[in-house]
Amino acid sequence: MQLKPDEEKPAELPTLRRSLVAASCALLSATGAVHAENTDWQIDSALLYYQEGKGRVQAVEPVVSVKRDFGDEHVLGLKLTYDALTGGSPNGAIPSASPQTFAAPSGSSLTQNQQVQTYTTASGRTVRRLDTFSLYTATPGELPLDTSFKDQRVAIDGSWSQPLTDAVKLSFGGGFSKEHDWTAMNASVGLSRDFNAHNTTLSLGLSGEHDAIKPVGGAPIAMSDYTLFQKLRQESRSSTGGQIGLTQVMTPRWLLRLNMNYDQSTGYQNDPYKIFSLVNADGTVAGYRYENRPDSRVRESAYLESRIAFRADDVLTLSYRRLKDDWQIQSDTIDLKYHWALSDDRYLEPHVRWYRQSAADFYHLFWDATKPLPQFASADPRLAAFTAPTAGFKYAMTGPDGGEWSARLDYYFQTGKNVQKGPGVLAPLDLYPGVKSIMLQFGWRFGL
Amino acid sequence: MNQSLRSWSLIAGSVLLLALTGCSTIGAKPWERARLARASMQLDDHAVEAGIDDHVYFSKEASSGGRGFGGGGCGCN
Repeated sequence: MQLKPDEEKPAELPTLRRSLVAASCALLSATGAVHAENTDWQIDSALLYYQEGKGRVQAVEPVVSVKRDFGDEHVLGLKLTYDALTGGSPNGAIPSASPQTFAAPSGSSLTQNQQVQTYTTASGRTVRRLDTFSLYTATPGELPLDTSFKDQRVAIDGSWSQPLTDAVKLSFGGGFSKEHDWTAMNASVGLSRDFNAHNTTLSLGLSGEHDAIKPVGGAPIAMSDYTLFQKLRQESRSSTGGQIGLTQVMTPRWLLRLNMNYDQSTGYQNDPYKIFSLVNADGTVAGYRYENRPDSRVRESAYLESRIAFRADDVLTLSYRRLKDDWQIQSDTIDLKYHWALSDDRYLEPHVRWYRQSAADFYHLFWDATKPLPQFASADPRLAAFTAPTAGFKYAMTGPDGGEWSARLDYYFQTGKNVQKGPGVLAPLDLYPGVKSIMLQFGWRFGL
Repeated sequence: MNQSLRSWSLIAGSVLLLALTGCSTIGAKPWERARLARASMQLDDHAVEAGIDDHVYFSKEASSGGRGFGGGGCGCN
């Protein structure tokens, strides 16, 4: 049989094998994956600008990922990420027919008087603190946004992978992330094995993470009256997870990946900055309480990704993720990209993503003030039922040095589902305005 | 494990069984892999971009991960 000659084939076979293994080892993907091609160092960098509508969160995030192949697929990866966030973040209270005044998290009083506050913690410890505060006011009908929201994060991730045999590969990873109110450390290990002449790769990964949470102003006592500002110093939580992955070459133009994920988290799950409104029968606000979530969460998800090649270098990538947790949240995510090769050195990539989720069983947009408080309650919009489409595109071009420049723009918007109507004076108000945002990203990757 | 995930496990098992029993219509011979080896077909291609996406969606939604051990590492959700 006459085989069609392919000049690229000898050089690319190792790349394919690496990519199959790396794909299944994507559980270590925190460091990214710059292809180990013909250069020792591969640098992948990006700058993200993120902006939500109506004066909400704005973020700038530069990322640099470096990968070095020391030969024989012994690969070291490092990634450095920096986030700077500003803008207004919803505090969980609903819009009201009257002005609403809140204190920034660093504050501990809704009055204008500075005071020394003393209270006793659950463990019997007496806490004494001099209050400082800043206030913000939401006008009638306006979603209350904590305008003092400001954060910076630095994260560093590293990984090492190497083959143990011709078919077995071992990977390690670890990461450290630091914000002024949050410190996270994680580690992971993965093992993969090729079968069937490298057409099939099975992988197993385990991960663990520990978060130390030190909220601004302290972690509020769950379900406590917002005006009392009863806060503790800090909290923590830990999580462990596992993943079983299968990557399969279906045909010479079709790759399939399936991951099954399981993770559980125990400890402090609350958002320390979120409250919910207590509402009277006439729609007036009776008060606010700090939220309370269960102290554990178990999630299971399945992820399926398909890549099919068309024409010379076009690729259709379609993925679907199904997730379910024991907070009764279920979500579906469909992501579609088409890599459209305009020429040998330029491509356009239209992108569509569709997401929907059901609400957590303890999510309440607000709580009827005449009813006893539930054990758990949160008005965090991220736990609500909503749909969220994304649409955008990416344009990339390869320079004479082989490096790739790219620009990407995505538009994202959330729309609430089955949004509860407010009683009385709240009836005409939009209590769940959703969120709209743009993501603008510039990328540059190259080899040294 | 809930019903839907059991279904996914079944799918995974079926694909695996087909693959491991050497079904002649699945897979690619070594000389057929040039197309699969191109950058655009790499499953982990543009991982930095994927990481940024995961971080943004993690901060707005109750779900994360899937491709790998996504999410976590920050107090944004």
